[in-house]
Amino acid sequence: MQRDKFFKEIENLQHPNETLVKTHCSYCGMQCGMNLRVDTRSNKIIGVEPRYDWPVNVGKMCPKGVTAYQQTNHDDRILKPLIRDDKSLKGTTKGFREASWDEAYDLIATNFQKLQQAYGKDSLSVFSGVSMTNEKCYLTGKFARVALGTRYIDYNGRFCMSSAAGGFLRSFGVDRGSTLPWTDLHETDCLFIAGSNTAECHPTSMFRVWHVQERGGYLIVADPRETPIARRADVHLDLRPGTDLALANGILNLLIENGHVDEEFVNNHTNGFEETKELVKQFTPEYTSEITGVAPEKIIRAAEIYGKAPNAVVMFARGIEQQHKGVDNVSAYTNMALITGKIGRPKSGVATFTGQGNGQGGREHGQKSDLLPGYRKLTNPQHVKEVCEFWGITEEEMPQPGVSAYEMFELMDQKVIRGLYLLCSNPAVSAPNSNFVRKALKDLDFMVCSDFYLSESAEFADVILPAVTWSEDEGTVTNLEGRIIKINKAQEPLGESKPDWQIQVELAERLGRGKYFSHLKTAKDVADEFRAATKGGYADYSGATWDKIEKQDGVFWPCKSEDDEGTPHMFLDKKFYHPDGKAKICALPYRPPAEEPDEEYPLRLTTGRVVYHYLSGNQTRRIQFLRDMCPEPYIEIHPETAAKYDIEHEELVRLYTRRGEAMFKVKIIEAIRKDTVFVPYHFGHDQSINLLTNPALDPISRMPEFKACAAQIEKSIKKVH
Amino acid sequence: MKKRLYIELENCIGCRSCLAACTQCGGHEERNRNYVYDVNPLVNRQTMPLMCLHCVNPACARSCPAQAIQIHETGAVLSALVEKCIGCQNCTIACPYGIPKFDTEQNLMYKCDLCIDRTKDGIPPMCASVCPTNTLQWLTEVEIEAKQKQFNLDNGKWVTSMPYLENETNVKVNLPGILQGVTKLF
Ligand code: SF4
Ligand code: SF4
Ligand code: SF4
Repeated sequence: MQRDKFFKEIENLQHPNETLVKTHCSYCGMQCGMNLRVDTRSNKIIGVEPRYDWPVNVGKMCPKGVTAYQQTNHDDRILKPLIRDDKSLKGTTKGFREASWDEAYDLIATNFQKLQQAYGKDSLSVFSGVSMTNEKCYLTGKFARVALGTRYIDYNGRFCMSSAAGGFLRSFGVDRGSTLPWTDLHETDCLFIAGSNTAECHPTSMFRVWHVQERGGYLIVADPRETPIARRADVHLDLRPGTDLALANGILNLLIENGHVDEEFVNNHTNGFEETKELVKQFTPEYTSEITGVAPEKIIRAAEIYGKAPNAVVMFARGIEQQHKGVDNVSAYTNMALITGKIGRPKSGVATFTGQGNGQGGREHGQKSDLLPGYRKLTNPQHVKEVCEFWGITEEEMPQPGVSAYEMFELMDQKVIRGLYLLCSNPAVSAPNSNFVRKALKDLDFMVCSDFYLSESAEFADVILPAVTWSEDEGTVTNLEGRIIKINKAQEPLGESKPDWQIQVELAERLGRGKYFSHLKTAKDVADEFRAATKGGYADYSGATWDKIEKQDGVFWPCKSEDDEGTPHMFLDKKFYHPDGKAKICALPYRPPAEEPDEEYPLRLTTGRVVYHYLSGNQTRRIQFLRDMCPEPYIEIHPETAAKYDIEHEELVRLYTRRGEAMFKVKIIEAIRKDTVFVPYHFGHDQSINLLTNPALDPISRMPEFKACAAQIEKSIKKVH
Repeated sequence: MKKRLYIELENCIGCRSCLAACTQCGGHEERNRNYVYDVNPLVNRQTMPLMCLHCVNPACARSCPAQAIQIHETGAVLSALVEKCIGCQNCTIACPYGIPKFDTEQNLMYKCDLCIDRTKDGIPPMCASVCPTNTLQWLTEVEIEAKQKQFNLDNGKWVTSMPYLENETNVKVNLPGILQGVTKLF
């Protein structure tokens, strides 16, 4: 398909006694193509070889990708079901004994049924994730609603992509993370990137980013830190954490004042321009600067460049999305493209850098508390009817919408939810306000966790089920472009581990719901049912067969039939997905972060990632190379601020907020705002920065405000209480 | 067509994927052989790889009393021959960049061999294959010439090929400032 200037015909090195299995990385939304090297004598994965012919990353990988293969046969793999009889040991790694699958399933079925008989169907919950295939994500939604019959299912995308989804739905009426393929990026004239530490979080995008500059194009980066990508930006908008909405409004105001509005596009294809114009008037460069802390000249220059650029792409990530106004931020930055008409054509558009491998596909097919397959809505009676018919259940049997991820922990705390089936996620590290979340997990009546390593969250489980890694199963994933790709199986499951879809089929049978699941005998069976289930929804995957994915180097959804090639570029016909076919320009009044600094907590705390680790670190912290490179968290602080607190490089300090505290090693660096400190979030137990973060939720996406809260540092080691 | 390793230092983001990938080369016994440095860690996030430059007349090989460092016909300066290396570490001291590493247990030097089992057949070395920023590239002579023109080297020479360093090197390095000659599109 797309063969761009970076593509070169290169043969792979083929070692004797090895085969190469084409697949993709297990980690981020880039879903870099890679080959796994499999020893033909042991039938085990032993290494990695670049996949030069995958159009997105042309063989390139970040250090996580290079070492991803080491997960499969790692010593820490859980090889058999584990049961813990002594509940007093919850929250520790102790007390687990190996058990048979039969015993584990029996125990789960008995406890689930007991809880539901005593406290109702909704006393059970499912908390899942999107680092797994579309097929598994789909089946997890069906399992919750059909096998368990509970309304409480949600997933870790609420901590990742939900604000992008909410913003795109409001602006475009459709939530496809990128309106254009990545192979367009290096050909645009201006990249405006907000709240994305691209070099560390999506490294294989970087050769395209740098190429824009090499061609004479511009790079604008908005970030409180001078990240590796901001270091080389033409304009670095070094804003205060949590003030993106003001910055976006300020730039919009300048674009309008300086005549960069595409009147024809605005009149014919959008709504909401006039009221937005009124609203952003007050965001003069000076007023915007007052809120954001960015110098007015920089704001003016950024607006000028974006306005003049023949083609431009607005991109963003968790920096703007993990705020209690994340959805507004997304719509506000998207406004830039809508008023200038830089969308709906090649080399121009809007994109979010999807965090998790299947952050896009995993949010579309019914793991979210209010969604059903094909991005159908549980609140839409027609949608519910379609899915009920497909699943063969009555409409009365379909549970109501539940609540968002963080709110599930509140319901656990209130004893509304008493049982949990956790898979593909590690909320004991990744959820905000961890003290509360961990207590909620600990107080559950019964908890099952499916994982391939004993995560910090698994420490709270009564039963742990050994799942397979990505390399021991097959299925599809939708990458950050909206391109559906195929993960291939390179090795048989290690020990007694099983893929989650199989676990769900077998559990459903134990729960007496086999007739809805027993026909699913292989990953392909699940895939076929999944595709059929999406038919007619707007995230229609029905035409994205495994054959077509192989032939075309992936298929961009929507793909509605066998002869539909898919949709690499969205909105080429200038038709958006709102009923009137128009996009919405949104007038969005500014709101400060939920918690602003004050005398007691004068610093702004923001969190993020390092290149060596992925999400909660449950996988990457176990990989020797990655652990050697970044063994522990640290607090980044400007030298002037450090001097005020009389703290030195590498000294241990206590960082605390209204919710919690932790000790971190100081990393002094000038490449951060003086009023801001930064801590990476990949670490568990008492090293977890989420002990401190603020669970203030976005009203639409229910995304917690990980990216901005008020904090204080204390030099002494002694604890103050 | 002969290809060379070409380095654009200013692109580096410090991801150390090149180091991780180095361990993947068949002949490398899962040990990486090059370096990535934080240029000024208390100030900014600039980083740079430090790779063996595969000198045409390499100081490491010249300094070796046991002739343990062979030069492959492709120009790659190979890792020490196990049976010849006497563990004196002369090479590490002689190399202007301190590239050769030392295994104290085996009393053996090991260094970048440009993934000779790949590059002898024209397959890019692992580092340049994976480098996500195109800091490390595997280019033909023609492509390198184009780079030389594009970046307007002030005296027509790559800096690493200056007499006071190691004279001619097989690896070509573009020092920081690759964007200096670029004309903006608008
Ligand atoms: S983690 Fe992301 S960028 Fe790194 S190799 Fe995997 S998919 Fe590519
Ligand atoms: S892989 Fe490339 S960008 Fe990453 S550290 Fe090495 S040279 Fe730098
Ligand atoms: S850079 Fe050092 S190790 Fe490499 S060939 Fe030259 S002298 Fe030898």
